[in-house]
Amino acid sequence: MSSNSTVASPHVEARLVYAHGLAAIVTLLISVGFGILAAVELIAPDLAGSSPWLTWGRIRYDHTQGIMLGWLGNAFFAFLYHAVPLLTGRPVTSVRLGQWIFGLWNFAVVAPGWVLVLAGFSQPLEWAEFPLVIDVFVVLALVLVAIQFLPPFFSRGLEDLYVSSWYIIGGLVFTLFAYPMGNFVPELVPGARGAAFSGLWIHDAVGLFVTPLAVAILYFVIPAATRRPIFSHFLSMLGFWLLFFLYPLNGTHHYIFSVIPMSAQIGAITASTLLGVDVILNVANLLLSLRGSGFFQRDIGLRFVGTSAVLYLIVSIQGSVQAQMSVNRSVHFSDWVIGHSHLAMLGFASFAAAGGLIHAWQRIPWARYDAMLLNWSYWLLLGGVTVMVLDLTAAGLVEAHLWQSAAPWIESVRAAKPYWLIRAIVFVPIVAGFLALLCGLLLGTRGPALQTIQGTIGLGPIKEIAPKLVSVDQGRP
Amino acid sequence: MSGVSKAPRVLRMSYLAAAIGGLGFFAMSVLLLGVWSGRVLEHQIRATQPAHPLPLTASEQRGRMIYGQDGCAYCHTQQIRYLDRDVKRFGAATLAWETIFDYPQLWGTRRIGPDLSREGSVRSPDWQLAHLYSPRSMVRDSVMPPFSWLFDGAADRPKQDARDLLAYIETLGRNRELAGKEGEARARAACECSDDERRLAFDSPTLNASPAMTRRHGDYPKLASSQDLNRGRQLYAGNCASCHGARGQGGGAGAAGLSPRPTNLSEHEYTLDRLGSALWNGVAGTAMPAWRDLPVQDLSAIAEVVRGFHTAEPEPTVFPDVFDLGAKVYAARCSQCHGDTGAGDGTAVDQFPIAASNFQAQRLNSDATLRVLRDGVDGTPMAPWTRELSEAELSAVASYVRRFYRK
Repeated sequence: MSSNSTVASPHVEARLVYAHGLAAIVTLLISVGFGILAAVELIAPDLAGSSPWLTWGRIRYDHTQGIMLGWLGNAFFAFLYHAVPLLTGRPVTSVRLGQWIFGLWNFAVVAPGWVLVLAGFSQPLEWAEFPLVIDVFVVLALVLVAIQFLPPFFSRGLEDLYVSSWYIIGGLVFTLFAYPMGNFVPELVPGARGAAFSGLWIHDAVGLFVTPLAVAILYFVIPAATRRPIFSHFLSMLGFWLLFFLYPLNGTHHYIFSVIPMSAQIGAITASTLLGVDVILNVANLLLSLRGSGFFQRDIGLRFVGTSAVLYLIVSIQGSVQAQMSVNRSVHFSDWVIGHSHLAMLGFASFAAAGGLIHAWQRIPWARYDAMLLNWSYWLLLGGVTVMVLDLTAAGLVEAHLWQSAAPWIESVRAAKPYWLIRAIVFVPIVAGFLALLCGLLLGTRGPALQTIQGTIGLGPIKEIAPKLVSVDQGRP
Repeated sequence: MSGVSKAPRVLRMSYLAAAIGGLGFFAMSVLLLGVWSGRVLEHQIRATQPAHPLPLTASEQRGRMIYGQDGCAYCHTQQIRYLDRDVKRFGAATLAWETIFDYPQLWGTRRIGPDLSREGSVRSPDWQLAHLYSPRSMVRDSVMPPFSWLFDGAADRPKQDARDLLAYIETLGRNRELAGKEGEARARAACECSDDERRLAFDSPTLNASPAMTRRHGDYPKLASSQDLNRGRQLYAGNCASCHGARGQGGGAGAAGLSPRPTNLSEHEYTLDRLGSALWNGVAGTAMPAWRDLPVQDLSAIAEVVRGFHTAEPEPTVFPDVFDLGAKVYAARCSQCHGDTGAGDGTAVDQFPIAASNFQAQRLNSDATLRVLRDGVDGTPMAPWTRELSEAELSAVASYVRRFYRK
């Protein structure tokens, strides 16, 4: 196969990559806006005045739903439009279907979901705050997404098998089932029994939707950008199966020391511990694949992705630790957990999504690209997330300490305020970082970037290097 | 290069196997942690729930919706964990049946404010409304958002939504309270739990451990006179001034919404004993919460500051005939509530939600006493006496009650 004349594979629907990429960053900036408002309202609680539309609770709902569905959802779809054809050698099912998915996701889910929540129609369940009417459209869109991206994997004559494909298939199929479980079941099953399901979804939203697709990006971009195979396909497979075995069993760790049966709690804690081990395997595999590739200098997309792998390791080990009863009894309910979730979503997942987006963007012949702005974006975001997570972790420890003392409750609120102030100020580098990401993908020139890439990391369909990186029959070199 | 391998069919199958196998893992997690846990809980609930738990009324149900849509559950949990630190702070650990009417559950995963599982009986309705309308008018350092759109421009003018939300808050912990001793004993016997869990769920000294919950009777610590005025002023400013005003004159930021109004501390003399009981137990029937979460030396420091607000007045001379008239009027009109010796222990007091003033433990300035006799005290059973008593009788009884005070 020779393809250096055409930069992108003919199968890649570059316009859909572009549309979802832009939607991702626009919804990201809006979601971050909600986050900033929520952070500032903790310092200036009367800021929203007597407007119910801007009250903290509603803003908080929109922040996380926007990040998960708007930013990460769109970014993952953009990546899938790039990766699926290259992984399978087949086009996605239909461009027309793609337009429907785009419209449905952004204009029947994210935008109206935000407005309805602000207007007071919502569901007080974590990662499930959009009202039920929106959930119907999410499920519909997820079905269409499965129809769009899965058939290429199952079509005839598939030559290569690669771990990213497994994560993509897994992530899309499981979310199709986990989403309704988390959003509908607690409406039908009350109280403690419903909480048993909510706990599962709190983890599945991150573990069966965000994580598999983010890890698919890591496993895709690293070999594609370094032009070298993954260190060990055996570890890839082991990592995949362990992740899908262990992740769903983690959910109950959100309700440790609750009335949910102790054996379920212990099971979830065990699964959480083992999950940390699994992530060590996975990330070791990814980092060993990066070893000696000069990834930090080589390419900005690759740098985002490599950093994401490191953050994935840190956040997963932290997760394993905080699921232990001895730690959980103290830090649960505190800002420590908020720090953890930002390390996961703003660190691991957002760095993977940004890296995947940049990687796909570089390979759209007519898209603009500015490496310097993206470099700025990287450092601003890395600085922002580091300060934020350290700050919230410290706040959580202070709160935990005061809660177990005899001090009045309000003391823990007073003590948290300086930390909340710092967290609110951190919005400056984070917003600047995301704006730089947006500008890096919208400004710049259309030509030079591609030449740079061609010179350093190569272009062309992944299938060209596929035998080196994906084939099952060849195994490791 | 491998080129076209002979394995495409196998490859397709393996992706399918991944999808189906993975789906199996997901199903397993739902069955084990969701469905199985649910069945165990259902069994537990059937065995332990009281015979007739009260479902929510339509108003309480609407209040629950508001609680959900405005994100209350994202700062306040409704789940007391099986941990000493939770039980000590909030009360007996939450049993499975306590949330059976919650569609969907509101357990929460973050505590910025305190747990609300047992909030229902902790504070007075006017405190709750004033706090919802303007949280910092009740708790200076709170970061709770104001919910003023549920009101008609003032804390004491709640709209239906605010009433519904209040009605819902009042239900929190109600069923466990109503289950009573028999309910607790039944649940304790049926609970399939470890000794530790049983201890945390049933052996907590009080069902509701909130340090702010007012109680009409109860032991309270003896306050000492304190030298630490700075500490006292700081505590007073942080905890008391929002209602009682910066210098104890009443009329703090939150005072307007409360009924009865917060006491004007500067026109009262208090014994340390009286302040000890008011601070430790709160004042039942009013918005004055208890402050059992403050160390006794802090309460002593606050008491010192409060006593310092009083502006002394010269003791008026009372002629014997006026004294006799006052005694007569007092015996006829006041002693039913305030007691023969002014100790607030008259025969009628148990019928009222608010205790009568104990004149032995607190003394109101003369002009303020006359004002109270003329106007009554809004929000309390103390009625105006101008129709029943002549001016001479009013001033006689006003000076008579001063006699009861024991420094």
